[in-house]
Amino acid sequence: MTFTWKVSAGLLSFALLSGTALAEPKTNLLHQWATGSDAAAVAKLGEMFTAAGGKWEQTSIAGHTANTLAKLRADVIAGNAPPAVQLKGPEIAEWNATGMTANLDDLANAEGWEKVVAPELIAVMKPTGNWVAAPMNIHRINWLWSSPKVLKEAGVDAVPKTWAEFNAACEKVVAAGKICIAHSTADWSDSTVFEVVVYGQDIDLYRKAFVEGDVDALRSDGMVKALTQFRLMTSKYMDPGMVGRDWDSMSALVGKGDAAFHIMGDWTIGLLTAAGFKEGTDYTCSQAPTDWGKPGFILNADSVVFFKQTDPDYIAGQQLLAKTILSPEFQTAFNQAKGSIPARMDVDLSTGFNPCQQQSLKDLQASIEAGTLVRSMAHNMTIPQKLRGAIMDSVTEFVNTPAMTPEQAATAIADAVEAQM
Amino acid sequence: MTDATIAAVHDREAAIAGRRHLASRTIIYALLTFFALIYLAPLVILVFNSFREQPEIAQNGLIAFPRSFQLSAWADAWSTYCIGGTCEGMRRNFLNSLWMAVPATVLSTALGALNGYVLSKWRFRGSETLFTLMLLGVFMPGQIALMPWAFILGKLGLTNSTYGLILVHVIQGISFTTLFCRNYYVSIPDDLIKAARIDGAGFWRIFRKIILPLSPPILIVTVIWQFTGIWNEYLFGVVFTSGREQPITAALVALTASGTNVRAYDVMSAAVLIGALPPLLVYFFGGKYFVRGLTQGAIK
Amino acid sequence: MSTAEVDGGQVGPTWRERLTKASPVLVLVPSLAASFIYIFVFTIWTLYISLSNSSLLPSYDFVGLSNYVSLWSNRRWNIAYSNLFLFSAFYIVGAMAIGLLLAILIDQRVRGEAMWRTIFLYPLAVSFIVTGTVWSWLYNPVDGIQMLVRGLGWTDFNFALASDRNTAIYAIIITGIWQSSGFAMALFLAGLRSVDPDLVKAAQIDGASTFRTYRKVILPVIAPIFLAVAVIQIQFAIKTFDLVAALTRGGPGISTTFPAIYVYDLMFQRGQIGEGAAAAMMMLAALAVVLVPYSFYVVWRRRKENRHD
Repeated sequence: MTFTWKVSAGLLSFALLSGTALAEPKTNLLHQWATGSDAAAVAKLGEMFTAAGGKWEQTSIAGHTANTLAKLRADVIAGNAPPAVQLKGPEIAEWNATGMTANLDDLANAEGWEKVVAPELIAVMKPTGNWVAAPMNIHRINWLWSSPKVLKEAGVDAVPKTWAEFNAACEKVVAAGKICIAHSTADWSDSTVFEVVVYGQDIDLYRKAFVEGDVDALRSDGMVKALTQFRLMTSKYMDPGMVGRDWDSMSALVGKGDAAFHIMGDWTIGLLTAAGFKEGTDYTCSQAPTDWGKPGFILNADSVVFFKQTDPDYIAGQQLLAKTILSPEFQTAFNQAKGSIPARMDVDLSTGFNPCQQQSLKDLQASIEAGTLVRSMAHNMTIPQKLRGAIMDSVTEFVNTPAMTPEQAATAIADAVEAQM
Repeated sequence: MTDATIAAVHDREAAIAGRRHLASRTIIYALLTFFALIYLAPLVILVFNSFREQPEIAQNGLIAFPRSFQLSAWADAWSTYCIGGTCEGMRRNFLNSLWMAVPATVLSTALGALNGYVLSKWRFRGSETLFTLMLLGVFMPGQIALMPWAFILGKLGLTNSTYGLILVHVIQGISFTTLFCRNYYVSIPDDLIKAARIDGAGFWRIFRKIILPLSPPILIVTVIWQFTGIWNEYLFGVVFTSGREQPITAALVALTASGTNVRAYDVMSAAVLIGALPPLLVYFFGGKYFVRGLTQGAIK
Repeated sequence: MSTAEVDGGQVGPTWRERLTKASPVLVLVPSLAASFIYIFVFTIWTLYISLSNSSLLPSYDFVGLSNYVSLWSNRRWNIAYSNLFLFSAFYIVGAMAIGLLLAILIDQRVRGEAMWRTIFLYPLAVSFIVTGTVWSWLYNPVDGIQMLVRGLGWTDFNFALASDRNTAIYAIIITGIWQSSGFAMALFLAGLRSVDPDLVKAAQIDGASTFRTYRKVILPVIAPIFLAVAVIQIQFAIKTFDLVAALTRGGPGISTTFPAIYVYDLMFQRGQIGEGAAAAMMMLAALAVVLVPYSFYVVWRRRKENRHD
């Protein structure tokens, strides 16, 4: 055991590690944050883990999520499950059901996670009552990013609060010759905007259709109404350039003053900041339109799942990594870089966080009180992947097929989901 | 008709033929040039962009004649660009790929040559059937093999290692190399072999003294085929290795998959060229032999 | 190895002689065993998984054909399967036509033959990741060809081949042809060079034009090469994965989904290994439709040749 290890380990609570004190904690995190600020945020985790005495390794797999999952599956089949993997939502439960995930209950009790972690996340991290994952952050999906410049030029006085106001504002923006909604079509981005529309129109429908995966709800008139609104947006308020546009350049359209609005999660902050745009002057953030006049919050969270290991070094490393992830220091540093807010509710956001992030925390608490908090379907926090995939396929087909009517689309979505059941 | 008029007619015909010849030559070269431009365009664009400065690319678009010049994109891509949290560029991945592709190419070619030799010159009852069955390996889609391979590599303790990838590529390559070599060796006259056997030469001696010296054209074809195939493979490389062991294709995808920053088209171009360079060089220097080797019977 | 040669009265062959005799078989055995596992065990395993209720990980609970039923009731799979046929048809015909044209052009005793050959062949050396990246720049509706042409003065020029759901598949076809027509050219050129020069000379003496010589004399001789090229291209087409992944990722919408992409998504992204295996078996079925008749033809041709020997 090295001297530095002792010193840094002293900073942590020794009690937990005492059982495995002889092991040298090490880990290899499998994740898909390969580039840009995502990579920087993970690098931060590596630094902290190393500083706490761990030996840090990572395997980052770029591109499609399928690549990360293929790697995970191959490793598991090879009898070589990775010690730590970035996984989310229902996937945590699915892997938990295989009995291969590690149990973090002792650590969680010692650290008092139950008291500090956002309640909506606890159920996800404990699919069958045991902690198997550590949450890194809370993303908000239902953000409306606006360009004050474009709104002023188009004569829109206030940021729209309801879908009717939103449409009225868009008519003005389009008349002024600007793009109303900055978008780049892909299955996940199309579904992101669509779920915000459904949520904003009818929160009960959202829960039935996207949280419970109810086929009748997917076929209902409410869904047709949401698709009608969505069609108006894709055909008139988005520009043809949405096809083939890189996803990471959508938000710049708002920052540069080419487009009035952008509906996307809070990672947009990271993109806008990296491109040099300032909150307040270049862009503003507000809750995406809702027709029911309450604070609302669509939640997405990243987390790390731990798989059972035999190597004591890796087991010690899992404890250390989980502890590091949920430390207020990491939650602060990671989320400042990523645009999300900490998964711990007791972290102070008054310094170093963007005003939008501070707003996000307020709205999160308000939405919990109002009973309007939901998890995101588009970002894989609710229904199983096969149902989500079926919905996303149909939604993106709708966006890219102008001739498809909302009625046909609702039927197509419901049929696709039904076929997977 | 006088002789003179006949001569004149001949002259005229010759002139027409000459003009026709000239016209057809012009058409031939025009067509070749036209296609060559299309074929070269992507490469030229990449080379240009790797030397252009990023702001100039942003301003003038991806397809434009360079109006700025820099070398730093190449250095960045090679040694300092951040991929997956480590800022060491693609150098490591490049070397990983080399350590994987070279042994795998050599081994699969050697096995292919031996198999081809047996299946063409030492046929036995059922050897043709075995050959046909082996050929089916050419057509296996990689997605099918992914999970079984994971299982086997796990059992052999070869996960997360270059050796595992070498094994996979050698076995998947055997079908191709055997096909190429067998079809080539079939065209070597059996009399040569018979004569050698009468002189008392055995299996290995015939291979060394007769077959190998005649093999270079086909070995070049299989080496080119295997090396480019293995170098360019992505799926297995990314799934069966971790972290710093990953091959260059994994780094390329990491680089070209959208990042959260403004895209660095200059570094991407340089990186893509670095990743493409070894197979390009192999084709550049071996292309002549590739076509020649195919001519001599790899296709049948 | 057989011991039938060992005659009663004589001393049997030494172990060294036996080894020499067995060499050919011994050499073949490792490759055969590995190929057998790779081809048959893997396929049978996949077949079994396709009949099981495997989801996140492979499991062995037999559920009959339900994965296949579910697969064929899926819109995206149907689109993927029909894309495969559309793509294969255009891609194979296109690559063969251009490959043949280039081969004939180069065959006209042109200067700098090696240079032309290298130019047309080099795309084959480049990975689909590289190809996909560069071509997606060219097809980029903002920065690519469209910007170039507009910059030249045609300001209302529109080029959205890859971003229109009805035409995106042609963008993939064009890129695929760019990449592999050089290979077709090399094979055709090899074929053209193998044609007996006397045949050609005889045709020319008879006064046949160049065009007629090719059509009536040369091309019929190299007919088997057409088939070989087609079969190689078809297996490229069926396995098409990287190119689509790099160019369009199956989009816009789901318009350019291909079976290989869908298999990958089902097996790994969506944790439906059983249905993914069923889709993979359908890919194999598509291959078999092409391969079985072809291999019968090859065997038939070989028999015929042997009879002539």
